[in-house]
Amino acid sequence: MSIIYFLIGCSVLLALIFLGAFFWAQRSGQNDDLYTPAMRILVDDEKPAEDKK
Amino acid sequence: MPETETLVKTSCYHCGDECLTTAYQMDQKQFCCQGCQRVYSILSGAGLCSYYNYNDHPGTTRTRTDKRFDYLSDPAILAELLDYTDERLSIITLYIPQIHCSSCLWLLEQLNRFNPAIHYSRVDFLKKQLVVRYDPRAVSLQQLVELLNDIGYEPQISLQDVIKKQNKAGKDNLVQRIAVAGFCFGNVMLLSFPEYFGLSGYERAFSHFFGYLNILFSLPVVFFSGREYFVSAWHNLKNKILNIDFPLALGIAVLFIRTVAEILTHSGAGFADTLCGLVFFLLIGKFVQRKTYYHISFERDYRSFFPVAVQVILDGKEKPLPLSDLVTGHRMVIRHNEIIPADAILLKGQALIDFSFVTGEAVPVNKTLGEIIYAGGRQTGEAIEMEVIKPVSQSYLTQLWNNEAFTRKQDNRIKTFNERVSKYFTIVLISIAVGTLLAWLPFSFRLGINAFTAVLIVACPCALALSTPFTMSAALSIFDRNLFYLKNTAVVEQMARINTLVMDKTGTITTGSSKRIELGGKLTGEQRQLIYSACVNSIHPLSRMICQYFGDLEKLPVLNYKEVAGKGITANINGHQLRIGSGDLIFGYFTETKLMTRVYLMIDGVYLGYFGFYHEYREGMKQIAELAPAYPLYLLSGDRDHERSELIRYFHDDRHLCFEQSPQQKLNYIETLQQQGRQVMMLGDGLNDSGALKQSDLGIAVTDNVNNFSPGSDAILDGRSFHKLPAFLRFSKDTVRIIHLSFVISLTYNLVGLSYAVTGNLSPLVAAVLMPLSTVTIISFTTLATHFAAKRRKLI
Amino acid sequence: MQPENFYYDNKIVRNFGIATVIWGIIGMTVGLIVAIQLYHPAANMGNQYTTYGRIRPLHTNAVIFAFVGNAIFMGVYYSLQRLLKARMFSDVLSQIHFWGWQLIILSAVITLPLGFTTSHEYAELEWPIDIAITVIWVVFGWNMFGTIFKRRERHLYVAIWFYIATFVTIAVLHIVNSFELPVSSFKSYMVYAGVQDALVQWWYGHNAVAFFLTTPYLGMMYYFLPKMANRPIYSYKLSILHFWALIFIYIWAGPHHLLYTTLPGWAQSLGVAFSIMLIAPSWGGMINGLLTLRGAWDKVRDDVILKFMVVGLTAYGMATFEGPMLSLKQVNSIAHFSDWIIAHVHVGALGWNGFLTFAILYWLIPRIYKTELFSKKMASFHFWIGTLGILFYAIPMYWAGFTQSLMLKEFTPEGMLKYPNFLESTLQILPMHMMRSAGGAMYLLGVIVMAYNLTRTALQGKLVANEAAQAMPLAPAYTIVKENKWHRRLERKPIQMLIAALLVILVGTFIELMPTLTISSNIPTIVAVKPYTPLELQGRDLYIREGCVNCHSQTVRPFRSETERYGEYSKAGEFVYDHPFLWGSKRTGPDLAREGQKYGNAWHYNHLMDPRLMSPGSIMPEYSWLITQTLDTSLTRRKINAMRALGVPYAPGYENEANADLNKQAKEIAANLNVDHIKVNSNKEIIAIIAYIQRLGTDVKANKTANK
Repeated sequence: MSIIYFLIGCSVLLALIFLGAFFWAQRSGQNDDLYTPAMRILVDDEKPAEDKK
Repeated sequence: MPETETLVKTSCYHCGDECLTTAYQMDQKQFCCQGCQRVYSILSGAGLCSYYNYNDHPGTTRTRTDKRFDYLSDPAILAELLDYTDERLSIITLYIPQIHCSSCLWLLEQLNRFNPAIHYSRVDFLKKQLVVRYDPRAVSLQQLVELLNDIGYEPQISLQDVIKKQNKAGKDNLVQRIAVAGFCFGNVMLLSFPEYFGLSGYERAFSHFFGYLNILFSLPVVFFSGREYFVSAWHNLKNKILNIDFPLALGIAVLFIRTVAEILTHSGAGFADTLCGLVFFLLIGKFVQRKTYYHISFERDYRSFFPVAVQVILDGKEKPLPLSDLVTGHRMVIRHNEIIPADAILLKGQALIDFSFVTGEAVPVNKTLGEIIYAGGRQTGEAIEMEVIKPVSQSYLTQLWNNEAFTRKQDNRIKTFNERVSKYFTIVLISIAVGTLLAWLPFSFRLGINAFTAVLIVACPCALALSTPFTMSAALSIFDRNLFYLKNTAVVEQMARINTLVMDKTGTITTGSSKRIELGGKLTGEQRQLIYSACVNSIHPLSRMICQYFGDLEKLPVLNYKEVAGKGITANINGHQLRIGSGDLIFGYFTETKLMTRVYLMIDGVYLGYFGFYHEYREGMKQIAELAPAYPLYLLSGDRDHERSELIRYFHDDRHLCFEQSPQQKLNYIETLQQQGRQVMMLGDGLNDSGALKQSDLGIAVTDNVNNFSPGSDAILDGRSFHKLPAFLRFSKDTVRIIHLSFVISLTYNLVGLSYAVTGNLSPLVAAVLMPLSTVTIISFTTLATHFAAKRRKLI
Repeated sequence: MQPENFYYDNKIVRNFGIATVIWGIIGMTVGLIVAIQLYHPAANMGNQYTTYGRIRPLHTNAVIFAFVGNAIFMGVYYSLQRLLKARMFSDVLSQIHFWGWQLIILSAVITLPLGFTTSHEYAELEWPIDIAITVIWVVFGWNMFGTIFKRRERHLYVAIWFYIATFVTIAVLHIVNSFELPVSSFKSYMVYAGVQDALVQWWYGHNAVAFFLTTPYLGMMYYFLPKMANRPIYSYKLSILHFWALIFIYIWAGPHHLLYTTLPGWAQSLGVAFSIMLIAPSWGGMINGLLTLRGAWDKVRDDVILKFMVVGLTAYGMATFEGPMLSLKQVNSIAHFSDWIIAHVHVGALGWNGFLTFAILYWLIPRIYKTELFSKKMASFHFWIGTLGILFYAIPMYWAGFTQSLMLKEFTPEGMLKYPNFLESTLQILPMHMMRSAGGAMYLLGVIVMAYNLTRTALQGKLVANEAAQAMPLAPAYTIVKENKWHRRLERKPIQMLIAALLVILVGTFIELMPTLTISSNIPTIVAVKPYTPLELQGRDLYIREGCVNCHSQTVRPFRSETERYGEYSKAGEFVYDHPFLWGSKRTGPDLAREGQKYGNAWHYNHLMDPRLMSPGSIMPEYSWLITQTLDTSLTRRKINAMRALGVPYAPGYENEANADLNKQAKEIAANLNVDHIKVNSNKEIIAIIAYIQRLGTDVKANKTANK
């Protein structure tokens, strides 16, 4: 069953990748405000009318 | 009146308030006031009308103020306010209470459309904050703030912006540490299960492989996630304190060392999963314990609502001056809705000062020229000029802050139960451990060490350390749900100890504008004018309210005006003889009316009716009164005592009612109570209570809007939940009881574990089961019990 | 600073949308055909290319990778652009991605009926297509990360995290599970054998479900549901939390697909443990979704799109609760190999993936065409017929699952199997299968109506190929340091992603080394187990080609009911030469692990000619073409070499005698058939397949007799 080594290796590496991603998110302030983004996606960024003139 | 039925109520397109007049119209849209219309015109001008698409009536009503923001051009103030600035870029964080819906979000993040010099603006919805990046060369902070003000989002600017501080603080990496611990915990479990599920002979190779991986995973847990426990344990030892962190650190260390030893010597599977689990759960406990209220601040003092600067007249010119530079003799100009920052003498203008910030009394008071006006009042009406007689820091109110109550650190209150227990726990634990070691050594060194370490492992007070945080955080969120915001978890235990209640009157047990006025009888237009003309001369709050009731009528010349204190007014107007006042002034005998003060009206000896003033005490005053004698009630009011007769019904003992108390007196009164060994809870609202709040063992600020000013305190109570106070008190006691129980539970677990441990053969499995099991029991017990208690107190 | 004007690419979204609908209809139609074949074998039209064993994989591939796949890309390309306030990184990449993906699917549609398959479930496609998939997947990732880099919105909305997770994980899984040693342009052998191959396959198989059918849809749910209901997600915090929890737990749930197999016990239990843990994060997602609609149920009542979402989320909740339950050993012993699993899968697929896809299509198409939906009535008809369809599908299948496995486990008081003949149980559940296909048909009808409805919608509107938008460019991040001093810090992301990429490469190299490592495995070998003879090997490849494994498992679980019925339970050592493993995951027919020598060659010959001849009422298709088609022996030499390369101990140089041996054995079988007056040429395929079947499980039996 040496395949186990391999699969564990893969899984752990994958997990590590995500852990790294999490650290990035935390450090770069991705999780500082965990409320507003949910509202922000509701408003569209349409081009203002006067630009179309 | 049929015609009123036919009248259709139109609501303001901007703010949704009812439009009382049709005066304000624009593109077939109705507005309640000029302010709203203005905002609309600005928005439509910038092509930003989709503001109104996301919500109908997203705006907030605009109280028309001619606020001045000139002071924002003062470099000293700028430096104070800006988060960052260089020649090309400035960043500022503004607190904007008006933020309330997705339209606000949308509009405020579109500021660039108004002015391209504003690079970027971003809302934090919960904190009601707006971060703006702009080019200082092209737009000044003043212009920026004015723009915000124009579109109905006036920022609250103060030098001591606590909320901002709050958010900048607490930037530790707890979350990261939890993440690492959790991550390793998961993987270690993965790698330890095989051991428990049983590996068949030919799979031994795995268990070694897994073992090494386990060591790898526990490294970051011990040295990154668990580090702080070692640090704090070390610190406390140096200060000769034995707190819970010591046995924890010990446990972690032993777990780690023994794990490494066992794995490297292939003598066992080690305790890696117990170790990681322990640290993980401990950190979770830390996490839940910290509760952050984004929009509430407990640390406010006078500076946080005093203006940043004030207009002064220097050599004939008005210019803004930072408060810190304001000195005696300065002549300052206070406009409508501006706050008087320092005690001063009125020199010019009609002063009508609203002291609600200070006393909670909403009815504005008239001040005559030459009178001393204390800092904290808010001028309503025309601009007035006054001369400063005391610098800000020495003024009547603010000198409170020189009192030692404010310099004293808050933490030196009674130790929490947790702290007290953990000391003895540690001692007992160590002695047991050493005991077992000595007991075994004669027979086998190895077994001795095993037993010794085992004891330290199973007795590691994980559950003990968790019971308080989880109970408390559960309790906190219950209070939170009931609009009662506690500064931190320690406050709960504090509240459980309280045995005396002290209250401020106005604004605390009466709502800010709680006097309802009603006219009994009918008055002709002329009579109204007459009465108005009489009352307008009086500064008595009741007269003021009568005037407000009538609105702006034309004032007639008054002859031999006479005001008898506590009785009423007599005057001659247009040959009419007016008598306005209490019963014995009018009828010659006193008529006691419950719940209502009456001002009787008589013109030319004809009784016309009366004005009734209801004192509305917050609902629940009765229940609170019933708290006595368990909780004796005291009243400390700044006002005169004309409500004594009604208040006595609640406070029973006349000696418990103190009126005309200065802030300092209030503070002292609390102190004396404390010297009688009482645990005092103070409920107040105004600045004049802040001394008492600080001095008391538990200061609660009562407010009708948590976003508004409230003095520094341990907890903030929303007026709507005032009646729940008794429930809160009982609940806090329940909470403490729950903590005690959970301590018992976790100790039982420790004993069970010990019975294994002392024998020297503790299997990893037992530890791995015991630790999470105890943790889970504690967590679920505390949460459920708290919930149940809250239900019993009808708090959910 | 001026705001930047840019355009969202709606065309690519539209294209993926069209692909979704078309492939959806095709895939479901194929599904319907195979469903019918399960009670009416003749529905294969007597044609090998449309026979169950070959087109069942076509159905799964079409609905998973074509229907769901395209739907994912549609959703991602729409939401990603808007969440990041940026057009996709490169239109060229988008185009390559789109057409590449369609080509891959097309090649699947061609190769699978032709019988080119690796027999790894959900990974049947042969090695050249695997490579193509890898390439296109990389293109997709490149395009996605490119967009993330040039985004105008700093915060990555939770949906994007789900997309990223999908990309990274699927990439790794696909590569790991596609280690094949090519023999010819469309034939390869799995590098791992037997138990190990099985573990890899289900490590992949489960995570494919997790990261292809779940995470991307959760991501889309988090974007589209709030948009549809025009209210923010119930708890954004929860969504973040449950994302990370899901990611860290999912990876190890795989082994629960192998309970009671020869996979080491602890590995099985591991799978169970982690599967149970999965409930929490999965339900986190569902609850978050449903609570978003709290206080908006009136909206739901008259908005068919939200109706779809609600049913979809509910189905997700049910499936994610049922899953862990199924991984409990006791439950699993009944459910595994039975129709219960089919029901479970389809609740998820039809409810969660299907309904979410439909909702998104109904919401999105009118928007990018700047028009209203052509007919709300039709849409709500679709909703109702679809929901009914699911019920008509699931309920009979659960019923069938219970009935069959209980029948197969039932003993008489005398301790004999109550239904010794597997066929009895099959016949018992035929009515349920008929109902099921009716349910499927209803569901399909709904989809066709949707297709018409959407077409009319598109026709009445005009596609806004490039949607104008405006946003401020992303300013560099500022962060505050302890001493409250400000300092500029450029974004950390590229660096972070570099590290991530590095790790991926590490995985890659790791993988390079791995096969060599795995071949020498420490599985207890059984002396009696010998490599297959060339003829048997060829027969095995035919067995794979015809997809027999889709109905016949090859592993006997350690239950009395199974050992009684099939013989001694399977041992890990028996499969060491099985590249790939053929344990199967569903028993529509009986297990074949111990089939060898049970019946004579003649029986098998006739049975393959016309199953109903030997076992009346059988639903197995006729394999007449095996008799007409000649066995292709040209590859024997290479196959032997390949097997040796993978560690099968064929004597050096054996490849040269292989075909001689092959013919010899074939002649013997032909002669043996001749005894029963069956005239068949020894070079026909049927000889090979009989040879293989007769070999199954005989090694161990031989062992036993030898030991006596």
